[in-house]
Amino acid sequence: MADEIDFTTGDAGASSTYPMQCSALRKNGFVVLKGRPCKIVEMSTSKTGKHGHAKVHLVGIDIFTGKKYEDICPSTHNMDVPNIKRNDYQLICIQDGYLSLLTETGEVREDLKLPEGELGKEIEGKYNAGEDVQVSLNYSEG
Amino acid sequence: MMAAALGPPEVIAQLENAAKVLMGRERTVAVGASSPVGAVALVRKGGPGARKRHHLPWLTLSSASMLSIYSYHLGSQNHHLQFASIFWCLVSSPETSKVDYVLFQAATAIMEAVVREWILLEKGSIESLRTFLLTYVLQRPHLQKYVREQILLAVAVIVKRGSLDKSIDCKSIFHEVSQLISSGNPTVQTLACSILTALLSEFSSSSKTSNIGLSMEFHGNCKRVFQEEDLRQIFLLTVEVLQEFSRREHLSAQMSSVFQRYLALANHVLSWNFLPPNLGRHYIAMFESSQNVLLKPTESWREALLDSRVMELFFTVHRKIREDSDMAQDSLQCLAQLASLHGPVFPDEGAQVDYLAHFIEGLLGTINGIEIEDSEAVGISSIISNLITVFPRNVLTAIPRELFSSFVNCLTHLTCSFGRSAALEEVLDKDDMVYMEAYDRLLESWLTLVQDDKHFHKGFFTQHAVQVFNSYIQCHLAAPDGTRNLTANGVASREEEEISELQEDDRDQFSDQLASVGMLGRIAAEHCIPLLTSLLEERVTRLHGQLQRQQQQQLLASPTSGSADSKTLDDLYEDIHWLILVTGYLLADDTQGETPLIPPEIMEYSIKHSSEVDINTTLQILGSPGEKASSIPGYNRTDSVIRLLSAILRVSEVESRAIRADLTHLLSPQMGKDIVWFLKRWAKTYLLVDEKLYDQISVPFSTAFGADTEGSQWIVGYLLQKVLSNLSVCSSEQGLADDTVQLLVTLVERRERANLVIQCENWWNLAKQFASRSPPLNFLSSPVQRTLMKALVLGGFAHMDTETKQQYWTEVLQPLQQRFLRVINQENFPQTCQQEEVKQEITATLEALCGIAEATQVDNVAILFNFLMDFLTNCIGLMEVYKNTPETVNLIIEVFVEVAHKQICYLGESKAMNLYEACLTLLQVYSKNNLGRQRIDVTAEEEQYQDLLLIMELLTNLLSKEFIDFSDTDEVFRGQEPGPAASRSVSAADVVLYGVNLILPLMSQDLLKFPTLCNQYYKLITFICEIFPEKIPQLPEDLFKSLMYSLELGMTSMSSEVCQLCLEALTPLAEQCAKAQETDAPLFLATRHFLKLVFDMLVLQKHSTEMTTAAGEAFYTLVCLHQAEYSELVETLLSSQQDPVIYQRLADAFNKLTASSTPPALDRKQKMAFLKSLEEFMANVGGLLCVK
Repeated sequence: MADEIDFTTGDAGASSTYPMQCSALRKNGFVVLKGRPCKIVEMSTSKTGKHGHAKVHLVGIDIFTGKKYEDICPSTHNMDVPNIKRNDYQLICIQDGYLSLLTETGEVREDLKLPEGELGKEIEGKYNAGEDVQVSLNYSEG
Repeated sequence: MMAAALGPPEVIAQLENAAKVLMGRERTVAVGASSPVGAVALVRKGGPGARKRHHLPWLTLSSASMLSIYSYHLGSQNHHLQFASIFWCLVSSPETSKVDYVLFQAATAIMEAVVREWILLEKGSIESLRTFLLTYVLQRPHLQKYVREQILLAVAVIVKRGSLDKSIDCKSIFHEVSQLISSGNPTVQTLACSILTALLSEFSSSSKTSNIGLSMEFHGNCKRVFQEEDLRQIFLLTVEVLQEFSRREHLSAQMSSVFQRYLALANHVLSWNFLPPNLGRHYIAMFESSQNVLLKPTESWREALLDSRVMELFFTVHRKIREDSDMAQDSLQCLAQLASLHGPVFPDEGAQVDYLAHFIEGLLGTINGIEIEDSEAVGISSIISNLITVFPRNVLTAIPRELFSSFVNCLTHLTCSFGRSAALEEVLDKDDMVYMEAYDRLLESWLTLVQDDKHFHKGFFTQHAVQVFNSYIQCHLAAPDGTRNLTANGVASREEEEISELQEDDRDQFSDQLASVGMLGRIAAEHCIPLLTSLLEERVTRLHGQLQRQQQQQLLASPTSGSADSKTLDDLYEDIHWLILVTGYLLADDTQGETPLIPPEIMEYSIKHSSEVDINTTLQILGSPGEKASSIPGYNRTDSVIRLLSAILRVSEVESRAIRADLTHLLSPQMGKDIVWFLKRWAKTYLLVDEKLYDQISVPFSTAFGADTEGSQWIVGYLLQKVLSNLSVCSSEQGLADDTVQLLVTLVERRERANLVIQCENWWNLAKQFASRSPPLNFLSSPVQRTLMKALVLGGFAHMDTETKQQYWTEVLQPLQQRFLRVINQENFPQTCQQEEVKQEITATLEALCGIAEATQVDNVAILFNFLMDFLTNCIGLMEVYKNTPETVNLIIEVFVEVAHKQICYLGESKAMNLYEACLTLLQVYSKNNLGRQRIDVTAEEEQYQDLLLIMELLTNLLSKEFIDFSDTDEVFRGQEPGPAASRSVSAADVVLYGVNLILPLMSQDLLKFPTLCNQYYKLITFICEIFPEKIPQLPEDLFKSLMYSLELGMTSMSSEVCQLCLEALTPLAEQCAKAQETDAPLFLATRHFLKLVFDMLVLQKHSTEMTTAAGEAFYTLVCLHQAEYSELVETLLSSQQDPVIYQRLADAFNKLTASSTPPALDRKQKMAFLKSLEEFMANVGGLLCVK
């Protein structure tokens, strides 16, 4: 039985965002809000006065800290979108609170901590029960 | 229990004693040393012992609620006790405020008990109980209101129940009441009014009626008897009281409150929903729920209602109290009801004419020359609206001419004045928009009035229409032409409020008003069309000038003059906004599905003037939207309708030019929406006008917009240009983009128009641009992209030569396929698939596929289906790649849902099988990827289960082929088939059952808490049971069990809607068992269990009456299947009855129930007979075992 577990982490260093017109952003997509890479969880539009132009109200969740950020901007403006990458790994073992993960190219990564809280417990539980565990990681560059 | 041994006569004797004690008593004896619990314990004991205990002052609220629980539980077993105990309670409660609640509960319990024990009680005792209750209330004027009303309700219920077996005569009650009224004592008169109100509510058989466990038929019969005699009696009593009051000069506060109550009672009577003599049981429920009741009494009311003094009385009453807003509401409502009088009450048309004339005189006499109060507006508008809707035109025109024209003048005056007040309300942002409501109603009345040209000569209403139209325009234009946003003292108010995207557009919010005003505009076309044209043309010029000014300021980089300029622009935009909306509603109708016709008034208007019109100048005006209309020589000799259209094209042109000049930020997206909305509405009706549909056609129209004319070719080109211009800038304005692509769809959805469209170069540019997925089109939101794709596909079915067609599809569809294949066939696709640009590419393709499916029509399904099928296979591969990206997975499933939804009904056997196979594979992949997947998100919301919902939708769509099927054995695919359909490998049932296999384990009870998921799920499983009952026994054991469990759960703990679905699923299942005759099959055993469930549901539990039919059908089929078990159930139930009387009653009822269908057999006639007996059964003993 394969269990999919998602969690997110970040690579510091290389800066990589690209601009996108605010109205082209989509729910479940990503955007930089207040300097943080966020997953968009809510998007709504409004206008000031009947003949005003659309403004977009964005609510995003920081993909690393889970903190909520909000912003409102004219829908014609450009927003920064973080480059998010996502990798799937096979969990090989857990040692001293660190995960050993097998990449798709056959290499092993051991620099990731077992996450705290429910998610960590669940990974550990499944691992101890001898189940196959897949781990998905989201990266944001920058 | 001591009292258990007492028979009914003893109990009654006891009650009478108790009543005597009560009536004669004023002694209060306090008994000490007992807790509230003790008090309840005493209540429980009941019987003679208790009677001696006298008062228990500590019988507090908690014991009151215990009492109600107690009476609830005891209902079926020791019902004799109940009377005694309740009475004891009533008797023993001291008159402190704390016991009000106990009294209230006691009255409720009495009411329920009397109904339940009715046939066991002696009629005399019931009679004395009723007298006792009335006396009780009479003697205690200071009872809390709610207690008094509840006791009176009990009296009313007794009277109503008694009317069934004629044991109780209403007459005596009326006698008592009229004595009370004549007492002159306000308190007593109020009480009399309460009695009458209670009777009225009880007999009205509406939602106000108490639930006494009797059939709708009983309620209906009671109501019919009541409305013939007693209701009229009440009305006459009420009228007498009102007459008495209206004669008095001064009313004390107390008197005035009594007056108000009787007025409300009169309203109650006049709003009575008279039940026609022969109305089936099913219609009764529907009938009673109707909202707007008109007064249609039976013939016997003639004398009472046609007496002109009655009508006059209500006018007099209103004049007297009109300043009291509460009472005025009632008096106006009474008048509105009288204004709706119709039916057999009128002996002939003459009587109706007299009545109407008299009424209008009274009305005009009341409202002419007075300042109407705010609180009167709605009432007066309902009176007028009722008069106009209810009285036939020939009656309306038969009243004296003078009178009728004063009436119409008065209506005109009121409409204009309410319109102005409504505008004021908007400026002040009032919560309660009374004038708006009144205005709406009057405008609606106009619509009914003017749409009849048989009874009124042409032009009869023109002058009035002009007035109402002018005042509407005036209220919606800014100063100096209009009064928009001006407060009463002429001060302009302007507020910039935040408007959310959910706010309805004016054209929808005010659609009714606009439709009426548009209609009035057509009637007065001579005046209104030129008016709109000049208002628009003048504003276009101003808008153009203002935009140029602001552009120059920008170029000079002068400090932004700011708010003054933006106010000027906003005012212009708002003016143009309303002018476009009115023009749109005036020139064309909005029809769904059918071809809208040019309104006859407009056609006639154009024809009438066509001799004075210069066609060439008209075409010139139309074809030069960039120039001022008045700059064209001879501009006054143009067709006015075309000139009005060209005025809007001029607005549109100013907008397009501003976009080209990079002034988009100064434009109003709202006005942009209005323009394309108008053009769409106009194009549907006028573009390529089909001359066959009209008796006569205006030459200017056919020259300018007819088939094969330069005019129409030019307009199509212009509209397409407009669409492109909008789409290039409006990716940031969702609403504008939506309306724009809708215009595009309109242009191509009819073949004739599409033929012109595809001749335009711009169309091909659009197709190429969209296929290349480059900005700006790829920035459009996904619904807009879908619709755009739909339009492009529809356009492809226009008439083209083969070569062109080939080229078109190469431009439109092939790139889609190529790009898609290029992406997914890349070697490293599994690695790159999560890259944003790859994902966007994939998403855009999937959206486009949905759009293609949406474009399906009967004549293109063959091509589209084959095209889409290729993709579907690839999409399944994508499921694998994107298994961890739910939004993409959902979109893939959505493609399948759309294809199934739009195409399955046209597919022949073999094509359908292809689709089934694809769906099956999709489900298999989905299942593999989701097995063991846990959704650990604690904040799970419904939308996270979108995939489940989509899959259920897909399955339901596949099933729908079983009842909606237009396919003609692959007719549309002729020539593509290798021969007769290959052997059937996959059927709908296979896919659906596989899908259910997949869905069932995932549909946990938690998920069923989400209403949409729950409903979709039960809809699906009911469909399956109905369509493939033979497949159910073949299900794997686990699946079978969970399906049965789902059904049970649905019947026992879900909404009544779901319960009904489950009951509907049971009948085919039981029939399936009967066919199979395998008595050890799991389904057979399961149906046995359901028999018990349905039995309990019908016999023991409270359930809504509308469920009885579904439950009854299921029940009968189950009984046929399990006759022995059914007898056993009945036996068990009977043997648990200790009371011989109850036992007998139940046994008789059960015998009767199956008498008509012994032995029960699955045959329609017997089933119907059973259902009928079941209804009787429910009425007879339904309330006996079911305690409410």
